[in-house]
Amino acid sequence: MKPNIFVKDRVAVVGAGITLFRRRLLETPRELAWEAASMALESAGLTLRDIDCIVIGSAPDAFDGVHMKGEYLADGSGGVFKPTVRVYVGGGTGVFVPIAAWWHVASGHCDTVLAVAEEKMSPAHPHPQGVFAYIWDPILERPLGPNLIWIFALEMRRYMHKCGVKKETIAKVSVKNKRNALDHPAAQAAARITVEDVLKSEVLVWPVQRLDISPVSDGAAALVLARENVARRVTDSPVWVEGVGFTLDNTHWYNRELAYPRYVNYAARMAYKMAGIERPWKEIDVAEPYDPFDYKELHHIEGLMLARPCEAPKLLEEGWFDRSGELPTSPSGGLLGVGNPIAAAGLMKVAELFWQLRYEAGARQVKKPVHLGVAQAWGDLMQAGTVIVLGN
Amino acid sequence: MAMWGKDPRVSVRYPGRMEVEKYVYTPGLHGLELAKALKEGRLIGTRCGDTIYFPPTTFCPDHAMGEPVEIKGPWIVEAYTVVREDSSSRRLDKPVVIAYITPLDAEGGLIHYVEASEEEIAPGIEVEPVFAPPEKRKGTIRDILYFKVKNSAQE
Repeated sequence: MKPNIFVKDRVAVVGAGITLFRRRLLETPRELAWEAASMALESAGLTLRDIDCIVIGSAPDAFDGVHMKGEYLADGSGGVFKPTVRVYVGGGTGVFVPIAAWWHVASGHCDTVLAVAEEKMSPAHPHPQGVFAYIWDPILERPLGPNLIWIFALEMRRYMHKCGVKKETIAKVSVKNKRNALDHPAAQAAARITVEDVLKSEVLVWPVQRLDISPVSDGAAALVLARENVARRVTDSPVWVEGVGFTLDNTHWYNRELAYPRYVNYAARMAYKMAGIERPWKEIDVAEPYDPFDYKELHHIEGLMLARPCEAPKLLEEGWFDRSGELPTSPSGGLLGVGNPIAAAGLMKVAELFWQLRYEAGARQVKKPVHLGVAQAWGDLMQAGTVIVLGN
Repeated sequence: MAMWGKDPRVSVRYPGRMEVEKYVYTPGLHGLELAKALKEGRLIGTRCGDTIYFPPTTFCPDHAMGEPVEIKGPWIVEAYTVVREDSSSRRLDKPVVIAYITPLDAEGGLIHYVEASEEEIAPGIEVEPVFAPPEKRKGTIRDILYFKVKNSAQE
């Protein structure tokens, strides 16, 4: 380990909570935030009174249909009359929430932070996809009427071409994650499906088919983070934040090699450097790469340097990434299986590492012993990369 | 950035259209309770320990779960205003009186219409809710048609 001498306090995750992920929940966004926050506090054995600062994460206001969601979510997240911020880097927000919580504590500013991520996508009609329409360049792209799947179809096609990957192989990510999600109590899209099912599902934008994509969801997740002396007082098994990394690429996504996610790689290198990890493919025991599309998990595994470029599909075929494999990925069930309430989905991945590293994941617990885990999310047009490394 | 010396007038425009046509919100746990109460012509708040809050919330300031409790008033006008033009700057035929109204038996309050003349309305006067006929109630805040001034104009 190479400790960073500029960081004042070591930071641990001491509690986690999650709501159900569903297509449409009765709860208001504030109530979802409250449910996840209360669960996280209870799991840490703390009350709101013990919390110094609040970090809220939520993707566009236009999903929930409430302007300034950070302020709106403040009471549900426990942020009234406390130092409270909302962070937002598109889909990367979920992993950015614990990163922001980390620096709140590491700076010495707060002893304890409640970190809450919420998303309610169901209010936007006719479809929440409409919210994404505004990420395009209004002059060069919007006149063509693009939607998000177009771009990922292009990226997927490029990855398949460059790495010589078949759709049959990529479909196995969806099969694996949806199967893993059968053991997740919050899961929305858990299923026992076959590669056949994926290949026979409706073609949306070739080569992207219905079962290649994560669903639209409502939900929230929360973590409690604390500085070392507090963490050691409240738990025997703190899970340490070993490294954090975040970068932005350019939104001009057509000026780059689509087959390799540099926005993830740069963030990963930053996090590994801080964590003193030199060979992530050997040192990381469990990973939660961002998987809104099945090929994206493979793409991100390579960006996270858990496999060489174009090597992830081969390892997938060998069962390397299964729960019983050498390097289990998305043991939670991921976005494909648990669901994709944007910011909450990213934080769900970090919460899964917390449970895995405490051996509290129950039926989802990976076979091998675990010491270090990495979670990652990506945001906007293959632009924002957020990475966190946790260890026990 | 405008280029100095060039004509800044625009000859090409790029139209944009909001693709979200509408929002459909869910009432939430407390909202469902409130909707039921409104349909019955009642108002509810939330009890958190010794304090009662209105409008109701599911959770208390300390994040404990609250308990629904009926709010009976009396309702007092805390502040009011008179709307003379609508949002499109059109003159209204009849000015609309809007008030921030608080119940004496709870913390908090609500904004609603008050059926009162400008001479009648004043901070501190007592008002009471007038509900729509039961068959017309939908479980929304508009199930209260307006608040009327108590003691005066009472049939």
